[in-house]
Amino acid sequence: MYRTCENHGSYKESFTLKRLKVIMSQKKDKYSILGRNTPRLDGALKASGRSEFTDDVYLPGMLAGKIVRSPYPRAKILNIDTSKALKLPGVKSIITHKDIDSFMVGPDEKLLCDDMTYYFGDEVAAVAAIDEDTAIEAAELIKVDYEPLPGIFSIEDALAKGAPIIHDYLEDNFADEIKMNFGDADKAFAESEMIREDEFVVNPTHSCFSEQHTVLADFSLPDQLTLWTPIQAPTLVQKGMSYNLKLKESNIRVINLNTGGAFCGRGADKPHHYIAAFLSRKSGKPVRIACTADEEFLVYRGGGTYKFKIRTGFMKDGTLKAIETDLMLDCGAYMETQFIVLHFIGFTSQMLYKIEASKYRGRLVYTNNPPYFFHHGTGMVAFRFAFGAQLDLIAKDIGMDPVELNLKNAVDKGYTTPSKIHYASCGLKECITKAAKKSNWKKKNGKLPPYKGIGIGCGVIRSGGKGMFTHDTSAVLLKVGEDGKVFLFTGLPDMGQGSHTTMAMIAAECLGIMTEDIKVLSGDTDITPLDVGAIAQRGTFTTGNAVINACADVKKQLLKTASAKFGVPASAVIFKERKVYPKDTPDKAISFEDLVFDTLYSQEGRFVMGRGFYNPPIEDINRATYEGNSALAYSFGSQIAEVEVDPETGIVKLTKMTVAHDVGFAINPLGVEGQMDGQVFSGMGQAIYEECVMDNGRVLNPTLLDYRTPRAYEMPEVDHIIVETIDPYGPFGAKEVGQGVIQCTTPAIANAVSNAIGYPIKELPVTPERVLKAIRQKKTEQNKT
Amino acid sequence: MKQIISLNVNGDSFEVTVAPWDTLLDVLRDSLRLTGTKKGCGIGTCGVCTVIADGKAILSCLTLAIECVGKTITTIEGISSNDALHPVQKSFIENGAIQCGFCTPGIVMTAKALLDENPKPSDDEIKEALAGTFCRCTGHVKIMEAIKKVSP
Repeated sequence: MYRTCENHGSYKESFTLKRLKVIMSQKKDKYSILGRNTPRLDGALKASGRSEFTDDVYLPGMLAGKIVRSPYPRAKILNIDTSKALKLPGVKSIITHKDIDSFMVGPDEKLLCDDMTYYFGDEVAAVAAIDEDTAIEAAELIKVDYEPLPGIFSIEDALAKGAPIIHDYLEDNFADEIKMNFGDADKAFAESEMIREDEFVVNPTHSCFSEQHTVLADFSLPDQLTLWTPIQAPTLVQKGMSYNLKLKESNIRVINLNTGGAFCGRGADKPHHYIAAFLSRKSGKPVRIACTADEEFLVYRGGGTYKFKIRTGFMKDGTLKAIETDLMLDCGAYMETQFIVLHFIGFTSQMLYKIEASKYRGRLVYTNNPPYFFHHGTGMVAFRFAFGAQLDLIAKDIGMDPVELNLKNAVDKGYTTPSKIHYASCGLKECITKAAKKSNWKKKNGKLPPYKGIGIGCGVIRSGGKGMFTHDTSAVLLKVGEDGKVFLFTGLPDMGQGSHTTMAMIAAECLGIMTEDIKVLSGDTDITPLDVGAIAQRGTFTTGNAVINACADVKKQLLKTASAKFGVPASAVIFKERKVYPKDTPDKAISFEDLVFDTLYSQEGRFVMGRGFYNPPIEDINRATYEGNSALAYSFGSQIAEVEVDPETGIVKLTKMTVAHDVGFAINPLGVEGQMDGQVFSGMGQAIYEECVMDNGRVLNPTLLDYRTPRAYEMPEVDHIIVETIDPYGPFGAKEVGQGVIQCTTPAIANAVSNAIGYPIKELPVTPERVLKAIRQKKTEQNKT
Repeated sequence: MKQIISLNVNGDSFEVTVAPWDTLLDVLRDSLRLTGTKKGCGIGTCGVCTVIADGKAILSCLTLAIECVGKTITTIEGISSNDALHPVQKSFIENGAIQCGFCTPGIVMTAKALLDENPKPSDDEIKEALAGTFCRCTGHVKIMEAIKKVSP
């Protein structure tokens, strides 16, 4: 449960700008480490099963926890009887709302229901027992009397007259509403020669991590909670739990060993974390709660239903003038992170194309569906599909090639959006041009046989930035061992994206040693310095800059020895490939290891430790007007999808994806390609295959077989185009390659399907049913005319 | 109810006490502490728990421990020797086929079983072997490459 903490720090001018001039003057071929395909540092550990994940931790006396969940989406709780369960041998603790004083985990969410349940699967009670089987048996013995009440399962029903109010302290079922107006939209619409209005729907999805949700909590002592859990932002979990449990942050230790995928979905403390903690407190023993496959869909909380109305004003020559977006978002039973999604979409709607003004209204609606959470693409991907699809329709209206239309309106370097977001680097046009060229767009667009299609999608995302706190800080500590090996301590988790290898590469480049000389230590809030986490595409950009700063500190300490030894000023000492030498006399080189040794075995006895932190030197946006630039770097991308549609079955096959992404600078091209592949895979899932099928608040397909994710068979050929724009603020010019890529995937695929069947796609995913319906619709309309 | 059975895992014989419903996965992880085999969905949909039994890739979460008496079980811990990783493991590392690494042991075992039987698989044969596995991070692109590069 995210909470915005004000005044956690204020920004001070860092020495970034000075440093950046040095970096800009360097050329890529001067790098010894960066820009080269580098296998992950933890590859051998992971390939051999030696990497430790949460469930691989076994503590003495550890208990198994089980959550009792509501079988009704909306019901009154009349009575909870735990007496039978308590008598079962092996049961060590049971908690209901009475034991935790109706503890709240969000503004609208009680950890355990007291008198009402709000969604199918809502947490009602929990039990800890000596083993899993006993815990399951005990959970079944807890008798809860319910009085089922009619639930609300759609945005329309929630807003209908006389609809029951889900949270009775409110007057209606609106959870939140945001309006963002940038520029003079009325004027821009009035001046537009044409206006298009369309509606789009995106259905609920699930991120499907390999490692399901799990937690091991040890709260056997009242002032020390230790939590092992897969997570992408340990600091945020620590802060959230500290706030809710009224414990000091230092009393909460969050350990994330390895994390089996996250995709935006593991950035916060969730009910199972607290439940395990309370069970542990009550039993005095460590408690593990590992989700079952179907529970996973309830605990993760997936993405909700998005309904967009988008009105766009444009000129006959294709110049876009203004965008007005109205979003209704199903937030499920509790608000969770969905209010943040509302913000994100408001911003992104005016970030990709040059427009004069934008108008946005986002509303969040309570239903009795499961509470929703960030899903892969952080909600912005839903808007990107919607607007990308509308842009294709605009192209059709004015008879313009969609690639040309995208190029004509694409933002570029130096551009400032209506909300005052500023692009210090931007490779959008280069991405579009290169993707179009490599995919042979001109030869294919409009010239493919029936039921084969091609489509373009574009995207933008920021690399880190303010918003969570008034700072966006990453800190890094470097411990330089006597043998010249460097231990890099970071609070940035690596959930697979490869950031630990990236950080090691940056450190190796800065210190003139090799990547394998760096050992990255992470995943323990007691040991690692503060890092806001691997969220909002901030890892490479923010923590990467912190690594550079920490390395500068190490070098400063080593240069003192080197300068005296060589009798040259510090500025004339070179660190390269494990050697240190005066610029003009490389033959005097000594090894990095010897320099470290000499520094320690000196009169001063200096043990070399470096510290560095980075907080983007920028103010947060104005929270009243939403204007301002909250991030220093933004990345851009463009993708071209090629599909084949079977008109008999409606099955869509993505045959090829050409992916161009402006990553600023590819520190590890191998990792960049991996990020591209993974996001095309997930984006293809959201576009074609994946949907939580809902029935009265229940997910009908809560397993990987029924929730039909693509697999190796469905994966198309992926053509990677890495576009480098050397961002002036990024570490060595690098920006994100996180959730930026997927932003382009869904619109590209949807447009390719539209192109193949000759009928617009306005709802995702494009399942066979929806494709066949669209083909039928097209025939009906043709017959009418 | 519980009984002692003998399991041959990675060339060693282990006596373990199991309940009739204990899966091979439970015994590998909880009794033998061979935690290299991960538990994913637990219901046979993700392939994360794949091990090799008598040369075939099987889902250890859907296999009862008592079924494995007399079989030769190989887990991820059993394919590399002290100083050398298996060629499949090396290829996965070098070709960027590993990201979060949670599915990796299962997919490495799947690939090993395939290559042991068919050293030169076609793309379609690799895809068929991988059909029961799920890697959300890589989209299987670099996994395919890695498997192809192991094949001579």
